[in-house]
Amino acid sequence: MEGHAVVSTKGKIINTIVWILLLFLAVLTIFPVLYVVFGSFKENAELLVGGSNIFPKKWIIDNYISAWNQANFAVYTKNSIFLALGVMIVSLVNASMAGYVFSRSKFKVKELVYSLFVMFMFINVGSVSLRPMYELAIKLHLNTSLLAVVLISAGGGQATYIFLSRGFVNSIPKELDEAAKIDGCTFFQTFYMVILPLLKPVMGTIALLSFRQGWNEYILPLVFTMTNDAKRPLTVGVNMLKNAGDGTAAWNIMFAGATIAIIPMLVIYCIFSRNFMSGMTSGAVKG
Amino acid sequence: MAGNDGRGKKRIKLRSGGSHEGLASFLMLLPAIIFLIVCSIYPFIWIFRYICYNYNGFTATYTGAANFERMLSDKTFWMSVVHTFEYAFYKLLFIIPLALIIAVILHTRIMGSNVFRGVYFMPTVISSSIAGMIFTFIFATKNGILNSVLQSLHIVSSPIPWLTGTNVVMAAVTILAIWGGFGNYMLYFTSGMDSISNDVYESAKIDGANGVQTFFYVTLPMLSPVLKVVLMLAITGAFKDYEAIMVLSDGGPGNRSMVMFLYIYRMIFGSATSTAAVQIGYGALLSVVAAIIVGIVTAIYLFISRKLDDVV
Repeated sequence: MEGHAVVSTKGKIINTIVWILLLFLAVLTIFPVLYVVFGSFKENAELLVGGSNIFPKKWIIDNYISAWNQANFAVYTKNSIFLALGVMIVSLVNASMAGYVFSRSKFKVKELVYSLFVMFMFINVGSVSLRPMYELAIKLHLNTSLLAVVLISAGGGQATYIFLSRGFVNSIPKELDEAAKIDGCTFFQTFYMVILPLLKPVMGTIALLSFRQGWNEYILPLVFTMTNDAKRPLTVGVNMLKNAGDGTAAWNIMFAGATIAIIPMLVIYCIFSRNFMSGMTSGAVKG
Repeated sequence: MAGNDGRGKKRIKLRSGGSHEGLASFLMLLPAIIFLIVCSIYPFIWIFRYICYNYNGFTATYTGAANFERMLSDKTFWMSVVHTFEYAFYKLLFIIPLALIIAVILHTRIMGSNVFRGVYFMPTVISSSIAGMIFTFIFATKNGILNSVLQSLHIVSSPIPWLTGTNVVMAAVTILAIWGGFGNYMLYFTSGMDSISNDVYESAKIDGANGVQTFFYVTLPMLSPVLKVVLMLAITGAFKDYEAIMVLSDGGPGNRSMVMFLYIYRMIFGSATSTAAVQIGYGALLSVVAAIIVGIVTAIYLFISRKLDDVV
């Protein structure tokens, strides 16, 4: 009895220490976000002096007002929303159809396409592949709209989403398709009326992941909006302020801009964190 | 007769259904095929077209082996390769053990484990470009909060030039990489551990194994397939990181934090302040070399992990 009691107090102490370490790590993880969010309410003078306070001495919202009015953030925000929603919609339509075909169709060409998919998942040449797509977009006169960015982003990320959707369709019993076929449904009707309604959970995951992808995209829109400020999303717009000559002076605007760029994603994450996490693991490890 | 007729009709219907299925499949797969061609296959072929050219975005002239010779004597490029290895090494050295330990601790369902998991994963939903920017504020030498905190705790006497000191910039880059990535790997380990049956843990408990023993004799061996996949993802991922580094230090100071893919980006699209130095042909050659380097590293890793399998 006594020995048991000793072990359990020792266990409790260890547990407490571990818990405090976990808490410390959680604070470190969340700190940069809190720092930038609270910093966005500081006066620029306070930011430029620095110091170890994370709360503002005097709370102001002028940074947001000037970011919105002078620094074009209204346009950047609109572009970010367009980009994120665009990538999401294109990915959903594309992944649901392709996942269904890869899982169910007896179409011969699909085997070839599938092996090409797998092959090109392992070939990654980095940013150089943006150059031919950029030149192609200029030829097609798509380089002045964000549509090209939406399509390239959705196209670049499609493999993960198609694997997710294909895996999900695989888990749906084939008897459902056969029943639909007997009832006179064509291949597409079976998809549209029987399979698609059942895909809701995986469509939700793909919607979250592709929205995040579009919202966070940086290099791609950076390249496409090099000379076109009116089409920049938040990620690019905020960082352009940093590269501008007087970057050091505009910390307050950059803090406000960074906050605008991360808050929508964080709110979505708070609501759907479970779906995010399950989607990430099924997309990477099992896919 | 009537029955026969019916069967014949049915067969015809099914056959016509088959050709419809082929056409429908093709049309439904068309967006994915177009994306694959435009975003993967076409750029891949395009690169090889310019390998032997001097191409600045407007005019391309054939230069034979000049790009190749230049690469062999390009010290900045080979240093960027070394820095890529250095970065990948530091990143993996910290991120994998940290992610694994956290995943194991949270697996014991310690109080608040779901909340902790949610917090640790949070950085992965933030754009790495914005994360890089936030960390430039934190690491700023004069008015950055990290130096202020370190000084007020009397850990350092004078501010550390995190982003402008050649001996500390890699530390700054690594800290950002750990912050942005460990939650992701933690989650991979968590899902791997969820698939280990509880019976194994119970029998270990009955045999009197303590926490540390359970970790080394049960969790780690059972996790090894997942660990292998995760390590591979982590290695290839670390070699391809450059977005956050581009924002945080832009390869500086003096190319000290220049990694392979950032250097290639500079060649192809120019630096943040000018596009004067664009050399696409040379960048294309470097991209191929970089892809080969990543391929070799992956192959070596696969070889070693298989050898380890035989030994253990």
